[in-house]
Amino acid sequence: MITRRDLASALAARRLADWVVIEREQDLASIDEQMRVRRVEHRVLWQITVHVDAPVGRGSAHVTLDAVDGSASAAVDQAVALARSSIGPAWMSRPLAAPARVKLEDVALAQQKPIDVVTDVLSELKRPADVAARVSMVREHVRVVARQGFHTEWRATLLRLDALVSAGQRSLAISRQARERAALDGDGALAQAKQDLDLLAAAGPPVAGPCALVLGADALLHDGLGVWSAFASQADAVVERQGLTRYRERAPIAPGAAQVAEPLTIASNGARDFGLLSAPVGDQGDAVRAFALVTRGIAAGLGLTPREGALRGRDPNGGVRNLEVATGSWQGTIEPGPLRVVEVRRLRSLAIDPYTGDASLEIALALEHGTGAPRPFSGGSLRIDLITALARARRSARSITRGAYSGPDAVCIDRAELFG
Amino acid sequence: VLASLGVASAQAALWACGAPAKQMRRRPTEVSPELRTWLHEAVATLRVAGFAAPHALAVSRQRITAAIDVLGAGVARSRCDGLVLAVSGRDGIVREQVTNDLSRAGVMAAVQALAGAARAASVDFGPAPGEFAPVQADPERLSDAQILARVDALASRDRELSSRIVYAAAVLDLDDSRVWSVAPGRDQQQRLIRVRKSVTRVAWNGPRPVVGEAARAWTGTIDDQDLDDADLVAAREGALALMTPRAFEDREYAFALEPAVTANLLDTAVHAWLTTTAANRPEVGPRLASGATFASPLVSLVDDPGAAGAYGGFQFDDAGDPASAVTLVDAGRLVGRLARVRRPGHVGRAEPAASHLRLQPGTVDQDQLLDDGFVLEGPLGASIDPGTDRVVIAVARARERAGGKRTGRQFADIELVGELSKLLGSISGVSKQTRTVGIRDEVDGQPRWRSIEAPWLRGKGVLRARRRPA
Repeated sequence: MITRRDLASALAARRLADWVVIEREQDLASIDEQMRVRRVEHRVLWQITVHVDAPVGRGSAHVTLDAVDGSASAAVDQAVALARSSIGPAWMSRPLAAPARVKLEDVALAQQKPIDVVTDVLSELKRPADVAARVSMVREHVRVVARQGFHTEWRATLLRLDALVSAGQRSLAISRQARERAALDGDGALAQAKQDLDLLAAAGPPVAGPCALVLGADALLHDGLGVWSAFASQADAVVERQGLTRYRERAPIAPGAAQVAEPLTIASNGARDFGLLSAPVGDQGDAVRAFALVTRGIAAGLGLTPREGALRGRDPNGGVRNLEVATGSWQGTIEPGPLRVVEVRRLRSLAIDPYTGDASLEIALALEHGTGAPRPFSGGSLRIDLITALARARRSARSITRGAYSGPDAVCIDRAELFG
Repeated sequence: VLASLGVASAQAALWACGAPAKQMRRRPTEVSPELRTWLHEAVATLRVAGFAAPHALAVSRQRITAAIDVLGAGVARSRCDGLVLAVSGRDGIVREQVTNDLSRAGVMAAVQALAGAARAASVDFGPAPGEFAPVQADPERLSDAQILARVDALASRDRELSSRIVYAAAVLDLDDSRVWSVAPGRDQQQRLIRVRKSVTRVAWNGPRPVVGEAARAWTGTIDDQDLDDADLVAAREGALALMTPRAFEDREYAFALEPAVTANLLDTAVHAWLTTTAANRPEVGPRLASGATFASPLVSLVDDPGAAGAYGGFQFDDAGDPASAVTLVDAGRLVGRLARVRRPGHVGRAEPAASHLRLQPGTVDQDQLLDDGFVLEGPLGASIDPGTDRVVIAVARARERAGGKRTGRQFADIELVGELSKLLGSISGVSKQTRTVGIRDEVDGQPRWRSIEAPWLRGKGVLRARRRPA
């Protein structure tokens, strides 16, 4: 049987530069109405990080064990051996900083069994009878111990809803995640999907050509962070050090990005209460901190692991986590007029080149605004340089928080080309 | 950096899952020999508690990854245990209790969560399975040095590395799973050693890195198969290929899909259209009723988990049912759907999924398949919208052919777009040569293995440059 104490003892007995053990005790439950399955699960996972110093540098290893039965000593042997075989440039661990003070547990959820929570969430979901949903919950108790006598622990909850909403011969899949039950907003997601299905039933084909482009919340946040994930890739410190990212710290993220009326500002905040990617400390025991990614169009910061932080002489920050994008002053209204505006409500797929920010967007549902009433259409694609387009885009004054994102609920890009 | 390219250094590849070491203590899959007895006890208790179809599925899985690259060498080992107790209630709902504690206490705690204080009764489990057969070059008995020697042999076979190649790696990835399935009247166990060998080459092409990869995957022993010399050459040439800088016009062209691209398309299409879960979508179910035309008459597709040596194959599935072939498409007509459920890593959430897809080969030599058009190589991903049938297949490069020969021009980052039914209906040629592609991805941290045996396909569709036009 592996225990935290045995692991800590085994690590302390070896001559290591540094080590961190993270124990994740998880209770999971889910109900899948489509598959007609109720699942209850209990797991204990271990993450062991070790650093060994040698005359030629430092080696690091990270081991994950998804088992309870076994030998702590053998697991530590494995980690140490890997670290010794992967000596790279030398760096010094900084003293571990205080964990971020962040709430991750919905106390109301913690008082019930996860399977009861899941049952409640499903039963209270406002939906037509033919909507099949899957709800799952994770309740986690995380304990961290490290070489320097550091220890911390926290509890977290996470709810997830997946559903297939149908109307006639069309359907839309929705997915929502939140740490608090009140923030899941399953009813809102289902209502929005139903509204979009009605539009989809009347949708025609796309008409190719130039247009202004409005990305609504569901398109903006396709599959999680959606178009904003282009900035997360650019803020990877390792890739940036190799010169593979498009922008550099303290330089504009795109030509003219600092001169537009409302320059773009983005922050990573892993210390936001109930943030999907929030945590007091990262997987290597490094304290999670909020930091600026882009400040008024200028690249301002990078996600730093302990190693990257040490190599740059800076404090680690836990990497890029929840994104907070500054809202703008655009009221989100699209006036009828001669200018063609395509309002994208949902995407089928979004592919982003992590180096250049070039993206290919496939449209599932959009509204074409012109002089008459908005015309729904389905299909067509857009190929845009997301970094430049978002740097210059007008951002909505209305803010939403969904998953790991908090920011404007829509953006307007002045020029784009719709392909049929 | 290399991970961001879709590849990883030997060290980075191992970072995620564990450790190497010449001096490492062997870590056999130390599951108690009494595990089967405890599973019997669990099922018998659940039976007494009134559950109709109790089933215990246990797995102990060890992953070994060995890699040699330009930075060094290493071996990683990691372990995952799991037990799924599944019972059907009178309401037709399946209840699952899952744990990663395979000790007696862990198994009994899971039983108690479902059955309360019920006591075990006598249940006939049928004949006992034989012991796990001895395996040649058993991964549990091989030292790290012996495993690395195999990777080294693979790495050293291609010595014609150009100075333009900035990264080269050879990787051996083994998933060694012991699976036990116990239910009334059925007591089974299987050992599945899934092996994947691959080489990766990376070279710069202007401001962008280009990745060439060759891989072979199977279930069996570590030395059953190996990469051909031609595979190694193809990986090198794929990375070194100089791309034509200008873009071509977006429009319909004749194309040939190499087997890896065909496999990528089939994998996505089967998941989106041909499972019982997909059939619940109103756009899919009625449109693809049995007998409906799904593809060109040249297309016949079977899911055959019993195929010898298939990377995605097995002897019995995660419900305990024996492997059996399911014909999905026969001469272009839909004749079946995948209802067989699989669990990622044998313990994850059950869902209908393919195991070993086999697309029937044709009669044309692959070199003769395409006179004019583009050969699409290097799958980068495919997406299908089941609601509208829209498909986008991204590939690393399109090689132009004219008059049955290569023109020498090849374009990077190309997408094949259109309606899936139209695309599959346009297939006018199938090669007699096939390749098998093994796929390992993860869901909720658990691996999903599958394989696809595919030929080259000829068809017609809209090709476009993936990058935005200048």
